[in-house]
Amino acid sequence: MSIVEIARTTAPGVTIENLTIAYGGLPAVSGVSLELKPGTITGLVGESGSGKSTLALSLLGAVSKPGRVISGQVVIDGIGDVTKLEPEALRRARGAKIGYVFQAAQNSLNPLKTVGKQLLDLGKAHNVRNLREAHPLLERMGLNADRVLRSYQHELSGGMRQRVGIMFALVLNAHVMVLDEPTTALDMITQANILQIVRDIQRDRSLTTLIVTHDVGVVAEVAQRIAVMYGGRIVEQGDTHRVLAEPRHPYTRALINAIPRLTGDVDEAKPLPGTPPTLATIPKVGCVFRERCPLRMEICDSVEPPAVGGVACHAVNKGDAS
Amino acid sequence: MNSFLWRLAGHLTRGLAMVWVVTTFTFFLIRLMPGDPVQIQYERLIAQGMSPDQAESATAITYGFLPDGPVWQQYLDYLSGLLVLDLGVSVESQGIPVADRVFGAMPWTVILVLSGILISFLIGVGLGVVAALRRSSFVGHSLSIAGSLLHGVPPFVIGIVLAALFTRRWRWFPSGGVYNGDEVAPGFYADFMLNVAYHMVLPASAFALASYGGWLLAMRSSVASVLGDDFLLAAELRGLTSWMRFRYLARNAILPLFTVLAISFGLVFGGAIFIERIFNYPGLGMLLLSSIGARDYSMMSGSFLVITVAVIIANILADLFYSFIDPRVRRQT
Amino acid sequence: MSNNVRRRFWRGVWAALKRRPSRIAGLVIVLLFTFMAIAGSWFYPDRLPYDVDNIYAPISWKHPLSTDFEGVDVLALVITGTRGVLLVAAAAGLVTMFVGTAAGLYAGYRRGAPDSVLMRIADFVLTVPGFPLLIVLTTAIDVGTWWKMALVLGLIGWGGLARAVRSQTLSLRERGFIEAARGLGLPTRHIVVKQLLPNIAPYIATNLLLAVTAYIYAQVGLYFLGVLPLDTSNWGVMLNAAVFQSGALISPDALPYLLAPLGAILLLTLGVVLIVDALEEIFNPRLRER
Repeated sequence: MSIVEIARTTAPGVTIENLTIAYGGLPAVSGVSLELKPGTITGLVGESGSGKSTLALSLLGAVSKPGRVISGQVVIDGIGDVTKLEPEALRRARGAKIGYVFQAAQNSLNPLKTVGKQLLDLGKAHNVRNLREAHPLLERMGLNADRVLRSYQHELSGGMRQRVGIMFALVLNAHVMVLDEPTTALDMITQANILQIVRDIQRDRSLTTLIVTHDVGVVAEVAQRIAVMYGGRIVEQGDTHRVLAEPRHPYTRALINAIPRLTGDVDEAKPLPGTPPTLATIPKVGCVFRERCPLRMEICDSVEPPAVGGVACHAVNKGDAS
Repeated sequence: MNSFLWRLAGHLTRGLAMVWVVTTFTFFLIRLMPGDPVQIQYERLIAQGMSPDQAESATAITYGFLPDGPVWQQYLDYLSGLLVLDLGVSVESQGIPVADRVFGAMPWTVILVLSGILISFLIGVGLGVVAALRRSSFVGHSLSIAGSLLHGVPPFVIGIVLAALFTRRWRWFPSGGVYNGDEVAPGFYADFMLNVAYHMVLPASAFALASYGGWLLAMRSSVASVLGDDFLLAAELRGLTSWMRFRYLARNAILPLFTVLAISFGLVFGGAIFIERIFNYPGLGMLLLSSIGARDYSMMSGSFLVITVAVIIANILADLFYSFIDPRVRRQT
Repeated sequence: MSNNVRRRFWRGVWAALKRRPSRIAGLVIVLLFTFMAIAGSWFYPDRLPYDVDNIYAPISWKHPLSTDFEGVDVLALVITGTRGVLLVAAAAGLVTMFVGTAAGLYAGYRRGAPDSVLMRIADFVLTVPGFPLLIVLTTAIDVGTWWKMALVLGLIGWGGLARAVRSQTLSLRERGFIEAARGLGLPTRHIVVKQLLPNIAPYIATNLLLAVTAYIYAQVGLYFLGVLPLDTSNWGVMLNAAVFQSGALISPDALPYLLAPLGAILLLTLGVVLIVDALEEIFNPRLRER
């Protein structure tokens, strides 16, 4: 077995340690530690503004302009700490080793070039001549590869764009894939198709995948592990089945209770009172969730709860200890 | 390709309709001019001793229609003359067809306008990109303000300043003409071309200076809006080189400018009149001005008509070019 | 607009002006020219005094911008030259505003056939080279009369405003503005005057300012080219005399006579550019982020 073959079969793991990213002094991601186990799908759930997109982009060493990595590291096996990579090394890692898939509603393709031409650009940027992989990938996702490669963005539907995006992320044989809201803005059937594709490809190629979404249902369907984000912190993480079956953090519980079921009474779905914090309104000390928390205690105002057993909550952890 | 042909057909019909409206306008302009120049010329020729018949046909040759007779008959005569490019005969210099003078002056204006547009477009687009990418820095701010000022100042101000500096204060460039007849004879050889270029430097620079500000501002806002597009971030996250990403950005940002180009030709020809007057450059604008000064109405309407038709044609070409290079228009689904 | 909204609007204006002091300078410049146009000729006799012994006088307190080829004070020429031009430009601006707004609103509100007919006309007006047309028209129409000149200028220049107003009306329609108002049973007049116009006003204001400036320069240009009779006081007349007649381009003594009208144009342009910059921010608050 050659080295290449070994690399092909063992997916790299990703370790995020104590990561803090701030925009002009306001932390969007604060002291986050998260491990993506090799060959698994992890779902990152949170409301908009929770910092989940910032965290996802940090896997590619991409922090948009005013933002800055204050502390911590993002280590990907075989690449190293991406927050400290040289620009050229980082560019080579993006696309070739780590693939990023945009939301379907976003225009992630150059509107003036055909998909095929942009594929050639990708190859040129990474000194890869052999792009034949694109064909089976597209066909595997149920597309007519020749037609798609000759098409412009405006000639593709949302679901087709999403599959093209996945093809771009994987055609150079990347083993870490980040999907940003992969099913938002798609209809139910296309959503199901895309999730099926993500699951199948993940199994075939043994990828390490991070799915960012606000939809707990998506995570329930494809992810082995789940991480719940609120106010720039991961408040709870663990095995998907375990967390969804018995959520422990009050926010996770509220999130799951807010989902209306297809069967049963609509009134059972309880929305969470209050609004999520914005960058400017995140409390600087204490627990970020306390304003909306039913289990609020005195200590929550002054001390940020440490993560114990995957849950960052004073009330829950106190209950466990006693 | 089919949609392209349809577009072309639509443009041609619209262009022809516009030309028709403008010819109708020039006809009635002369016909209804205070003091009735047609009648005046007819009477003057008779006073010079021509017989009524001779005077009538001479006047008809000048203006393209008979001095008396029903208006609709005159109108049809005028239009059918235009169809074979007969623009009448100059009133001022009798016997010289207007078409000869107009088409003789046109190439100089076209060369001047095209080189002016090309230079200002290149400079304006280039600096516009810089202004957008460095928009919070001192360089970006200064570029934008200089662009707005030069864009706002009328072209004759720039022309006067250039003329005062480089033809009078320092006599670096000639103060008029398209070439020096004492030194070179017209022809396709290097010395003549150089002489023409030498005479064109100042007027073309005045043009470029007067209009690059507009391109700069347009390009700056276009680049700023494309910079916010997701596909550039996507390209970055795909590890494309910065040069590739710059080309993605530039191509997408330049595209909308071609629609601006299409409607700018009218303005450009307006500016050409000033530039040609200031630098004594014998193009269409000068011809229009001198014919007005000399009350040579057939020459005036002829040169105005040709300027307008040139603008309409340029307009159509720019728009067709745009629809050809933008795949979203070219391949509508 | 309620009192409250109005107060908030003026506070926005003040905030935008304060953010960059240069904008206040722009306002001052434009107000200065307006003042010169209104009050300037009160300070001078109808016929400016001339003094043939004092041609191109050196700069002094009596003649801060020197004198011209007849010994007339250049500063007086610049100041008295603003009135006629500004009056015509303002009147032409009103014509443009009225025609452009009406055509754009009607086209955007009714859509369909009226829209395409009006926009074809607007495109035509936009395409035909305006300045050559203006020159040709001066031979047929007596544009020495101020309101005729204003009418001609205003009718040549309404195409751009009509297009801008139409696209704004259409985008308001897309945002459900008109349907919602109609659903409430409001009469058309109310919808147009009370709902649409206030939302379109910013575009009209910006366009109007630019149009008035363009009309000022068009008139100055006509006089400069010598197409109109040179018997009034006007910056264009000064430029024409300086460039084509008196040889001011050669003689350094005559330089102030050439530079004064050029400087006036430059200053006015600067004022307008700075105000447009402020207007854009007042009416488009998203720009403030940058």
